[in-house]
Amino acid sequence: MSDVLRLALSQGALMADTRVALQAAGLAVAPLGADSRRLLVPAGDVEYVLARPSDVPTYVAHGAADVGIVGKDVLLESDADVLELVDLRFGTCRFVVAAPEASLDRSLDEYRHLGSLEVATKYPRVAAAHFQRRGIQVEIIKLAGSVELAPQVGLSDWIVDLVSTGRTLRENRLAVVEEIAVCTARLIANRAAYARDRERIADLAAKLEAWAASR
Amino acid sequence: MRGDARDLALPRGFRDILPTEARELHAIERTLMAAFASYGYVPLEPPTVEFASTDAATLDERRTLRFLDRDGRLLALRPDLTTTVARVVAQRYRDATDAALRLAYFTPVFREELSMRGSEREYDQAGVELIGASGPRADAEVIALLAASLARCGLAAAEIDVGHAGYLAGFLAELPDEARASAADAARGGDLVGALAAARAGGLSAKTVAALERGLRHRVAGTLAEPRRDAPRAAVAALEELERLVPLLEAAGAGGTVRFDLGFVPALSYYTGVVFQVTAPGLGFPIAAGGRYDGLLARFGADRPATGFGIAVPHLHQAIVAAEARGLVEEETPLVVLVPAASDTTTLRVAAALRSAGLDIAIGEIADSAGRATVRARIVDDTHVEYEGVARALEAFVAVLRP
Repeated sequence: MSDVLRLALSQGALMADTRVALQAAGLAVAPLGADSRRLLVPAGDVEYVLARPSDVPTYVAHGAADVGIVGKDVLLESDADVLELVDLRFGTCRFVVAAPEASLDRSLDEYRHLGSLEVATKYPRVAAAHFQRRGIQVEIIKLAGSVELAPQVGLSDWIVDLVSTGRTLRENRLAVVEEIAVCTARLIANRAAYARDRERIADLAAKLEAWAASR
Repeated sequence: MRGDARDLALPRGFRDILPTEARELHAIERTLMAAFASYGYVPLEPPTVEFASTDAATLDERRTLRFLDRDGRLLALRPDLTTTVARVVAQRYRDATDAALRLAYFTPVFREELSMRGSEREYDQAGVELIGASGPRADAEVIALLAASLARCGLAAAEIDVGHAGYLAGFLAELPDEARASAADAARGGDLVGALAAARAGGLSAKTVAALERGLRHRVAGTLAEPRRDAPRAAVAALEELERLVPLLEAAGAGGTVRFDLGFVPALSYYTGVVFQVTAPGLGFPIAAGGRYDGLLARFGADRPATGFGIAVPHLHQAIVAAEARGLVEEETPLVVLVPAASDTTTLRVAAALRSAGLDIAIGEIADSAGRATVRARIVDDTHVEYEGVARALEAFVAVLRP
């Protein structure tokens, strides 16, 4: 019904693959030129909203954007009420629990004694939900970055972090205790927009799904 | 410190509704309740606070505003009306099983929201519940009533998307319990990727999953023949129930405003049959939603079929404003701002005379007319006012404003 379909895109790591995907789906991506600082980019019958990844679910949940492309990791942490329509199969990363290689057994011993472990993370919601499911009592310590540091200096026993290659973990002598979830990029939609503008959104979803399946 | 604006702030998610908006909301209330009454729905005024029972709760307990009273009982501000109505029926109408109960309401509901979400914690909800009637005629009745209610508010073009809770359930019926629950939870939470993956992992064939994916994604144009393909029997039964609705909705005068959408999966788990929602251009949230919930009343000990809908009044208000729908606030005579005479006796006598002639009169300057048109008139004596520079007898003045 509304003339322009508004797409919220995650700036940063997902952007290159996002452009390829949108181009394959027949959308104009040329206006997403590299060196522009515009955050609202009109491109024919769509309009791109260039947002910080963790803000994309917020724009879409409130209907400020009709659809969005964002990592499942961001969706898990945001708890936003949006529809997840397509697994785009790029931007793969994993949420893991990790501990210092040297003290893995020791921290489990301590857990048996003390009844609680300290876990440092940038993703408190994902971490809390995981340990609640597993029935493990933890205290979550929220950090803004470089979580790998926390166990090395005694701030926490374990960490919950997002890894893609695992190299950062190895370099900081951390080992994966368990995997929480594998995350890829998703096409998401606002619930009301999906009902209202179904033809266009379903068409975009079908094209993106075909593209993702063909790779 | 008194007078510091910070002392006057409201808790987040609560706000004052100032006169201009309140006047429009009252007009919406009158319009909706009149529409509901035209179908035989009678008003219900439930209490604001109930026990925060967890066993029959329809909403996640984290979404209710709860507190302890002095008796140490956990209370909740009512988060929706459906649960309240279910309790009222079980308590007060338990034996009235041979007739339909039609209840209407227009009342605030309270939802706990995370901070920093920009969401309201109190807003008006309007709606109806039709208790004790099952079958397509009852489903068509509430959908037609919703269409008629929106039309009375000036949103005649609003489209109602109709789906069926039994469609998805029919696909998932043959899965093992755990896979079925996880697929259904994912779908209600909006995660269609996860729902289809769980269905696949639970053992649904690729062909059936593909049929479900098509059904959830593509809105049905005209016929339900396409979604029948490769659908399990239970899902086909849901589609047949939708098909039976078509002639009934047309007969009820709501044919043009309804379209089928099998991809509408309500977030609440208690729906069992025909479900529907209304969206409006440019609004990120639905205006109204509802459907059949035949199992819910049994949880309260009164096993009755039921259907109904709720309208989120703030969203309806936004849609009416955006559509520039007129006729919301009925045409009224302007409010007369009466410039008082030196004698208070004269002032009150003239005001009383004009009011009894049908005019609305405010004495002296007013701070807020709530968007209503005003005219100024100055009192000359007990029987005359000056209006537009001319002294007029009271009857003549009334005749100008109420021709």
